Amino acid sequence: MMADVILSVRDLTVEFQTPDGPKRAVDNISFDVHEHEVFGVVGESGSGKSVTMLAVMGLLPQGQARIAGGEVKFRGKSLLDLDTEGLRAIRGKHLSMIFQDPMTSLNPVIKIGSQIAEAIGLHQKGLSRSAIRDRAVELLGSVGVPNPGRRFDQYPHEFSGGMRQRAMIAMAIANDPSILIADEPTTALDVTIQAQVMEVLASVRERTGAAMILITHDLGLVAETADRVAVMYGGRVAELAGVDEIFAEPRHPYTVGLLASLPRLDASSSEQLYSIPGQPPGLRGRPSGCVFNPRCGLKRGRERCETEVPALREVAPAHAAACHFSEEVGDWVREVAAAKREAAL
Amino acid sequence: MWVASFLLSAVMLLIVVMPLLPIYDPYGQDLSYGLMAPFEHDGDKFSILGTDFLGRDLLSRLALAGRVSLIIAVSAVFISLVIGVALGLVAGFFRGIAENLIMGFADLQLSIPRVLLLIAVTAVVGSSVLNLTILLGVTSWVSYGRVARAMAMSLREREFVLSAVTQGASPLWNMWKHLLPNVLPQMLIVGSFELGQVITLEASLSYLGLGVQPPLPSWGLMISEGQQYLAINPWMSIFPGLCIFMLVAGVQFLSQRFTKEGDQDLKMATRWSKKPA
Repeated sequence: MMADVILSVRDLTVEFQTPDGPKRAVDNISFDVHEHEVFGVVGESGSGKSVTMLAVMGLLPQGQARIAGGEVKFRGKSLLDLDTEGLRAIRGKHLSMIFQDPMTSLNPVIKIGSQIAEAIGLHQKGLSRSAIRDRAVELLGSVGVPNPGRRFDQYPHEFSGGMRQRAMIAMAIANDPSILIADEPTTALDVTIQAQVMEVLASVRERTGAAMILITHDLGLVAETADRVAVMYGGRVAELAGVDEIFAEPRHPYTVGLLASLPRLDASSSEQLYSIPGQPPGLRGRPSGCVFNPRCGLKRGRERCETEVPALREVAPAHAAACHFSEEVGDWVREVAAAKREAAL
Repeated sequence: MWVASFLLSAVMLLIVVMPLLPIYDPYGQDLSYGLMAPFEHDGDKFSILGTDFLGRDLLSRLALAGRVSLIIAVSAVFISLVIGVALGLVAGFFRGIAENLIMGFADLQLSIPRVLLLIAVTAVVGSSVLNLTILLGVTSWVSYGRVARAMAMSLREREFVLSAVTQGASPLWNMWKHLLPNVLPQMLIVGSFELGQVITLEASLSYLGLGVQPPLPSWGLMISEGQQYLAINPWMSIFPGLCIFMLVAGVQFLSQRFTKEGDQDLKMATRWSKKPA
């Protein structure tokens, strides 16, 4: 039973202006985010995950990038048709963002409390100063900042990294948004703090019922928190499925490669960590056909991979992959595993 | 630092404390006691710093003139700071046409010598303390504008500005809430540097007869009045000159100190932003 679709992205294409003409950073991607769910977006640097989110928020750098096609609908209303005034009304109130680095996303010369109060004041006009302050202190407390009344009057440099990220979360949920976009929210934090911050995010979502788009390159984080996952590669969605399906039975060679490159506890120490051969494609010189074909182990010299762009198609119930030979992936994985076992013997 | 505090406290003593003491009326003329030298006794009359050609007590006049000069200079600095920060932030934040227009205008204004410009304008609008203050303020915004623009250009790319945009902040909101608090300390440093220049400029204009009008005294005006009596009683010009020197030098030393401390703060700031606390 799926909840209602809250954010729907269809055939979104983003082009960047380069000296060699416009280049597609995001190419025809489509996905839906449902009410209350955690939607993971995984991909390496340059795969277009952050650009997609910037496009959704209407924050692409003007003059450098533009949306070349497609549509983004929030609760059935197109976001791409909105003017700046309309976007401003949506940002923070309905769609809110948490950034990667809490060191740089907080203004160093303004008190933490005032920055949270600012987020409240932007959308709840006519609230009295003391009401805003009360609300900000309450928010700080709700994200697990101890002694919020005193912390309200402190500056960002008096906060530790984890506390700063909590303050950022407090800012992001100040207006009870329906979607939180978390752009690598824990990348800048160490592992113990990561777990705490994810816990805070989970409890916050439980209380407000907000959906979350979790952008990350940390597969472990996705496995733990996400309900559904989109794997992005070279500006396209390679695979889109529920988190259990994707980890149990990947249907795209890239996802297989990603999972294989994770260090495992049960692997022997002499075994070298797997890495996908080659480099991810830059904006220039994207390969024709399937963007992954030069690095793909399943290609086996087949011409179709170089000539035809694979469409994202349903390969199993609620499981979509963009590979011409998606049906072969399962056998291929078993084949490779068997070969590896043989080599080890 | 010691030099600056010494010079500035001497000036403050003269300007703030002196008028509270029983000294002569700065406007009180007594032609029979004109042009007395410092510490000169003339019957009952005794004047610490002597008198000018109208027999007015130099000490009282220096004290009053100091207040006039300082009020003009501080208000002018305030006016130019407000204009400069506003224009600089707009130029640096919006870039594009706004930046070209504002910075082009700044270059245009810099290409005309300031004193010449001020002489030309005072000749048209007439000279009064108010006019002088406004003119000095309006013509010295460029240094604030340039620094503010440069800082705004780097600040607008910072993530906290982007973060505020994702919260729904408008450009004006961002400039007011996020850029202004970041540029203000640097603006005060520029201001302290400019204060000395504005004081000198005010003195020069008053010396030329385009600034403060008699009988109101100003240090520049007093130098100019003493000029005719330089051979007989040079003290009439020396004392106000000394006052200008002490104030300007004191302010400059202080501003240098501020600049140094500001750099230190900046170093500290970058240090802790690189390493999590």
